[in-house]
Amino acid sequence: MLGRGVKRKWSCLEELEAEGVPAALVEAKQPNGEEDEGGLLAGVPPCHASHLQQRQKVLGLCLEKLQRYQAGVELSLRRSVLLINTLRQIHEDMRSDGAGTCTPAVLLSGVDPDSRLLRDDFREDTSLTCPGCAEGGGDGLSVSPPLSPEFPPQEENTPLDQKSSPTISAFSDAVNPMGYLSDLALDDIFEDIDTSMYETSDLSSASGSSLLWPVSVSLWADEDVKIRPLNHGSPGSLQSCLMDLNELDHIMEILVKS
Amino acid sequence: MAGVAGGNDFQWCFSQVKGAIDEDVAEADIISTVEFNYSGELLATGDKGGRVVIFQHEQESKNRPHLRGEYNVYSTFQSHEPEFDYLKSLEIEEKINKIRWLPQQNAAHFLLSTNDKTIKLWKISERDKRAEGYNLKDEDGRLRDPFRITSLRVPVLMPMDLMVEASPRRIFANAHTYHINSISVNSDHETYLSADDLRINLWHLEITDRSFNIVDIKPANMEELTEVITAAECHPHQCNVFVYSSSKGTIRLCDMRAAALCDRHSKFFEEPEDPSSRSFFSEIISSISDVKFSHSGRYMMTRDYLSVKVWDLNMENRPVETYQVHEYLRSKLCSLYENDCIFDKFECCWNGSDSAIMTGSYNNFFRMFDRNTRRDITLEASRESSKPRATLKPRKVSTGGKRKKDEISVDSLDFNKKILHTAWHPKDNVIAVAATNNLYIFQDKIN
Repeated sequence: MLGRGVKRKWSCLEELEAEGVPAALVEAKQPNGEEDEGGLLAGVPPCHASHLQQRQKVLGLCLEKLQRYQAGVELSLRRSVLLINTLRQIHEDMRSDGAGTCTPAVLLSGVDPDSRLLRDDFREDTSLTCPGCAEGGGDGLSVSPPLSPEFPPQEENTPLDQKSSPTISAFSDAVNPMGYLSDLALDDIFEDIDTSMYETSDLSSASGSSLLWPVSVSLWADEDVKIRPLNHGSPGSLQSCLMDLNELDHIMEILVKS
Repeated sequence: MAGVAGGNDFQWCFSQVKGAIDEDVAEADIISTVEFNYSGELLATGDKGGRVVIFQHEQESKNRPHLRGEYNVYSTFQSHEPEFDYLKSLEIEEKINKIRWLPQQNAAHFLLSTNDKTIKLWKISERDKRAEGYNLKDEDGRLRDPFRITSLRVPVLMPMDLMVEASPRRIFANAHTYHINSISVNSDHETYLSADDLRINLWHLEITDRSFNIVDIKPANMEELTEVITAAECHPHQCNVFVYSSSKGTIRLCDMRAAALCDRHSKFFEEPEDPSSRSFFSEIISSISDVKFSHSGRYMMTRDYLSVKVWDLNMENRPVETYQVHEYLRSKLCSLYENDCIFDKFECCWNGSDSAIMTGSYNNFFRMFDRNTRRDITLEASRESSKPRATLKPRKVSTGGKRKKDEISVDSLDFNKKILHTAWHPKDNVIAVAATNNLYIFQDKIN
């Protein structure tokens, strides 16, 4: 497949010029993993850049869509599942990329205002780690589920993948959105999203652990922010709007007593 | 009755359009489901405002046999009201998600209608006579003193204006935690199934206080959830068989004889993914939005975002037929994802003889595919061509290169005008197409 890489790149270029939209639809046609090789062959081919650009765009939109909901209206579970599976896929894609073949400039140029907002949150909470790279380094671990909330905190001195090492300094300075995703975002976003209200049968078990689906929305968002101790890593905008049923009880208690 | 279009057979022509012409469309007026009854005499629509409107086919006049009868409003009623779930602090919309007719058993008609949570069984009956001449009650309805009644009078039935009454006969509530996406009456005519995102329940039409959970794909840990149920339907002849489709593009066929809980499927239909067309949107566009058995029960049809597939129940590894509905959108998926259109749920339907299928698209276009000739056609539901008996002109979307005359470019398609719901008369070439708040009825014009 990659032998035909040159041709494909041309078609990508053409499409890019034609409509100014990232042509990663074409680019995305190649299965994961092979892109790295393409990157090595030709540095950062425009086509690969556009793939990254689109990935970034899709990622930004994904997060935005997961945040954007109508208070008081139940979200479509189908839509949420599809969005989160897309997030997972992007995550996988990024891991297989090893974060080594793209430049921060490319990534940032494609960033949606909303995802940038999230990135800023990330900036507040993290030191100069390069989680994306660090995680790429733990290739042996990469078999484990990428979304496990029990991910150990990333250490700055984690062994680095060879591919990513040349660009590591650039990444850590730029606080790249990829790093944000592979380290914090998925875990923390999901941690803050709550399904407990969905569960009529099994409330206790559902509210205990971190939850994945943004299926319910609190009308108590403001109170939540005021009362709730910000004990999570990132006080992201998602968090301000979502909470679980236990905390609702807690708030009710406070309100009733006052 | 082959003939999707053009050719020698016949052409589709405009018959009627229902609904306001106003440019401003009230959200509540948007049609959310369309369904013919088993004879085709009645056509029901449900809307986002929770109303059900039933149209009846007027008998064609004997003097003008070339003119087919029209569908006129027969009954309108409020099926569902908006509700509020106080436990979850969530609104429950009144929007009618699905309507399914029951086979007619007597003079009355019955249908099931559902919103996200509650299914209702409605009886639609006619009354054109009333009993007159009771002397047990006063004119204002109070019982008269028995001692003052000196003679026995037999009431007589007097003709009156035809009145169509819709009355709720059963309410099937509190069985679905998630959104109901499908209901399907079983071929035993006694039971039906209802499916939400994660579960399928089996009900008896007479019993409202219990249902049997026959499929439950909810994982113990919701973090592991990667797939939801998108549609489900009972087999048209075998009352123990049903299918359900998923957001991953697969279809599972279950046999209720195998076990009470059909978590293990009997058949699993899946087409291997083409690696050359893989993208970030692969899963979203492969999500199945509708599944329908053919009338014969031999085939089933599934609709995903870009295509319609016909599966032989005896072959699980790939569909026997695949029809592209709007392949030109493949290069636009990013924008369609951005504006949320990619999550639209298009439905599909068979014609009466299973020889043709129909499904919707954007820009008020809808598509028909003739399974025998492999011909396909794109038609448009629009006010412009809605003159009586006007023949529908086939429409074409230019796909790259130069745009020919009469073609429309992909960029000028209106993605707010989408045809999600269509229905095909069970016997005749009459179709009903829901375009936002308008219902178009088209029929064949025999040359």
